Amino acid sequence: MAVKVQIPAPLRSLTGGQAEVELDAADVGGLIEGLDRRHRGLKERLCDADGNLRSYVRLFVNDEDVRFLKDKATPLKTGDTVAIVPAIAGGASL
Amino acid sequence: MEQILGHARSGYPFEVCGVLLGRNGAGARRVDRVIPAVNREKDSPRVRYEIAPEDLVRIQREARDDGREILGYYHSHPDHPARPSETDRRIADEGLSDGVVHMVVGVERGEHASPSAWVFRDGVHAFEAEPLEIE
Repeated sequence: MAVKVQIPAPLRSLTGGQAEVELDAADVGGLIEGLDRRHRGLKERLCDADGNLRSYVRLFVNDEDVRFLKDKATPLKTGDTVAIVPAIAGGASL
Repeated sequence: MEQILGHARSGYPFEVCGVLLGRNGAGARRVDRVIPAVNREKDSPRVRYEIAPEDLVRIQREARDDGREILGYYHSHPDHPARPSETDRRIADEGLSDGVVHMVVGVERGEHASPSAWVFRDGVHAFEAEPLEIE
């Protein structure tokens, strides 16, 4: 089940500069493992030590946030697009 | 550039934010399109900003369809200096920010807006000043 994964610029040093990679995975958890096998270090950037998605990372499957689906158990099918989106925030206050 | 400064002035006294886009392959620091975003910060929008991931994924898709990609982001500091705050640095350091451009626009009393451009470097856990070309 080939899925397209869009890689944000800060992670492309791990994908050899590729902005999009394609791989087979049955669900989001399997996708993260597959990404890490191919591009060592990606899982650590996406997940904490317990394996949960980091708070500053959002994964979208076809524009749906996996937090509102089944998180890492969200199923994937051929043709799905997964976007890795960083949380962007800040401001003048401490 | 005037679009960004105008957005910062018109949004005063609240922080405004947006996304900087460039053509694929045109160089990492050449911005040719700016997309204003909604500041989703609810508690302290005068001194904080947040771009919702839902907005960002939509902007990212539009950019790709247009042959562009996200080079970075901008936000304003109403009556605060045109440089990244410690909050900006801390959040960038926690997140996925290596090599990403951040423009910070200081706005004095809603009138005078001054831009500055920076790139975050994971290696030094800090922003570095960066020349930025905006068409």
